[in-house]
Amino acid sequence: MARKVYILGGYQTDFARNWTKEGKGIAAMIREVLDGGFSETAIEPGDLDAAHVGNFAGELYTMQAHLGAFICNYHTVLRGLPTSRHEAACASSSIAALMARAEIEADIYDLVMVVGVEFMKSVDSKIGGDYLGTAAWYEKECMGVEFPFPKLFDRLYDIYDEKHGVKYEHLARISAINYDNAKRNSKAQTRGWYMNLQHACSTGNYNRVVGKRLRATDCSQVTDGAAVIFLASEEYASRYAMRNGIKIDEVPYIQGWGHRTAPILFDDKEEEARANDYALPHTRDAITDAYTRAGITGPAELSCIETHDCFSITEYAAIEHFGLASPGEGYKRIEDGSIELSGGCPVNPSGGLIGCGHPVGATGARQLLDAYLQVSGKAGEYQVDGAKRVATLNIGGSATTNVVHIIGKGA
Amino acid sequence: MREIKKVAVLGANGAMGSRCGGIFAQAGISCMFFARTKEKALLGIDNAVHQARSDILREYITPKTYNELESELPGCDWVFEALGEDKELKKHYFERIDGARKKGTIVSTVSSSLSVENLAEARSDDFRSHFMGVHFFNPPGKLPANELIFHPDNPDELRSFATRFCEENLYRINIVTYNTPGFAGNRIGFCFLNEAVCYAEKYGVDAVDYLLGPYTGRAMPPLATLDLVGLDVYRAIVDYIHGNTDDERHDAFIMPQYAKNMIEKGLLGRKGTTSGGFYIKGENGERRTLSPQTFSYGQRNAIEAGFVEDTKRCIHDGEYKKAVDIIKKERSTEGDIVRHFILGYISYSYSRIGEVTPAEHGIHGIDRVMAYGFSWLPPSGWVYLFGGPSCVVGMLEDAGLVVPVQLESQGADEHCTVPDVQKYLIAR
Repeated sequence: MARKVYILGGYQTDFARNWTKEGKGIAAMIREVLDGGFSETAIEPGDLDAAHVGNFAGELYTMQAHLGAFICNYHTVLRGLPTSRHEAACASSSIAALMARAEIEADIYDLVMVVGVEFMKSVDSKIGGDYLGTAAWYEKECMGVEFPFPKLFDRLYDIYDEKHGVKYEHLARISAINYDNAKRNSKAQTRGWYMNLQHACSTGNYNRVVGKRLRATDCSQVTDGAAVIFLASEEYASRYAMRNGIKIDEVPYIQGWGHRTAPILFDDKEEEARANDYALPHTRDAITDAYTRAGITGPAELSCIETHDCFSITEYAAIEHFGLASPGEGYKRIEDGSIELSGGCPVNPSGGLIGCGHPVGATGARQLLDAYLQVSGKAGEYQVDGAKRVATLNIGGSATTNVVHIIGKGA
Repeated sequence: MREIKKVAVLGANGAMGSRCGGIFAQAGISCMFFARTKEKALLGIDNAVHQARSDILREYITPKTYNELESELPGCDWVFEALGEDKELKKHYFERIDGARKKGTIVSTVSSSLSVENLAEARSDDFRSHFMGVHFFNPPGKLPANELIFHPDNPDELRSFATRFCEENLYRINIVTYNTPGFAGNRIGFCFLNEAVCYAEKYGVDAVDYLLGPYTGRAMPPLATLDLVGLDVYRAIVDYIHGNTDDERHDAFIMPQYAKNMIEKGLLGRKGTTSGGFYIKGENGERRTLSPQTFSYGQRNAIEAGFVEDTKRCIHDGEYKKAVDIIKKERSTEGDIVRHFILGYISYSYSRIGEVTPAEHGIHGIDRVMAYGFSWLPPSGWVYLFGGPSCVVGMLEDAGLVVPVQLESQGADEHCTVPDVQKYLIAR
């Protein structure tokens, strides 16, 4: 049986900040998120055995690669620490977490830090849109295309419309819920923004169509931000729990995980979508792998889900891929209120990528942090009552890399 | 149970009126924007829509003229007054409102310096008990601070309702302040800003804005800030404070003569059409700087001080403690100036506890108004960065500045409650 891997907590930066306007560089972002992480958890930097950094495109946005090395820059006691950087587009820090988990399961290390970081507001939106295109097959799908990603996900919208029919107001409802949840999240990028269902359903100067049908309100944000979590072996976690006066049964741990990669070309994904019940079969496989590893049968055993809503249509797909509804019937969970904060299985109580923000390489770590906060009862105003088990889905590219984690507590 | 379903906004064509009214409309409340003409009211609506970045807001706002005031007011739950800073003008409208409003309607003024209690004198008992100051900061879409100024006639029910409503429905960060000139934010902020104007006469506009630039914990340098505020507004604020207070920095509110001359010459800042203020845009779009001696504009003085650039580099890399240590340790005239202003800001802020904000709130109310109303690093944030109260007491003594007893009595463990103070250190 695999060794348990606990999450001891972490920290995220305020996703509303614009670090370029503050005149700061990516080194400052890494330094601040580590400051916050060590402070929040009271873990000593010297206790770390290794660190993994998730980052999508530091070389493009900031002309800085080799980000693992910046961990050692934080404090002299970290010099010599094994570090690395992982890239899988928007799933970068989930991949970093998978590696950290594997090292602890393999009894190589006891305490491993996972940091996700992305610094995106250094360039204007057109250039940023071009950089994001490198998460797809750039040459074939994005080169010369303005804002390619909304157009790619519009094709997912088309698939759903063809297979099952989609009412736009269901997508608008997803956006409205996520923006509303974000108002309760003091770190969410959009917490001060004006947004409601009426605005999401409107089009015009302030809510333009950015793809074929997807609108600005359907899109996740361009965000500067970082998140850090600490993964630990049972031995370290037990000592940590005792030191902090908590029972080990109350400390969240990774109960299951899934990791699948789909073909990178959306044309190939389209073919698979037509041939399968589930539009994104590899996403579905990653989820069912996670359920199996966690020893659960489905979403009835989940308290809530933090899913990858890079666009509203992606969350629309996730609702059924998690099994909250049969294929084609995800809209029922929107209509009956299940996915709202007060519903049976809230989705994105943090606000998700649409509401909280999407610093690409940091999103996976941020989702895991939010899962930890929910299970620990520390999610403040967006706490899901009695949350015991939370699933996260982190997707890289156009549903290419798919990573699922299930976080829970207890025996 | 009190409900706010309809709000009347007076002065709705102005920047404050339109944007503050927009905040009510964003809460889903039906609003009437009053202006002298329908066209002006419609411009106010455009402003509110632009602030929210949503045309949906138009469904919540109706343009009105002052001729319609008496017929519309009986249906209102709140009258939000945002007219010009003219006591007699406001009093005239308050008399009209008193005659037309239904009992229980809240009436508030967004005035930033006039006495709230004084504005309501001679009004009916019901008006007075429902009248208060609700001072948003401009632009309220970006600056959530809200100074709430109650007076003795306000019942507890109204105070708690207004506090809760502003926080939960309007997403404001409330700071309860006393009815003192400039309330909290302007009293502290303009003490700093006016002193910067005084120093500019001796050291030059560019030098002062460079030394007291964003790396010292503010979004904009001081003189550039005053160009944005408008020198006429700046004068009204400091004159009122100087004429109605008498504290240890009383003379710091005397506007220097050259600044008064600027106003007479029409150099009001950005709001002037062709004339500038401390700065003006040249023919090629370049920024040119005022000479306080000759009132002519010249090429920018590109000064540079080693310690300032070193501090910025440390801030850029996130080494905030190192950055602050540089400021603490720099031994030069320029270093003394920077420390004088930061320490003066700390000293003046702490000394105002109990005078502008309730003593039981400690420094926290003042921290919030400076952070969320001015985008300045809050004073207790600076105390923490400098090393704690006892360290700062020593620095104040060395600098010959007043050591507030409120700072001496602050616990070493008491932290700034504004999160992420380091975000106010800007590497520019």
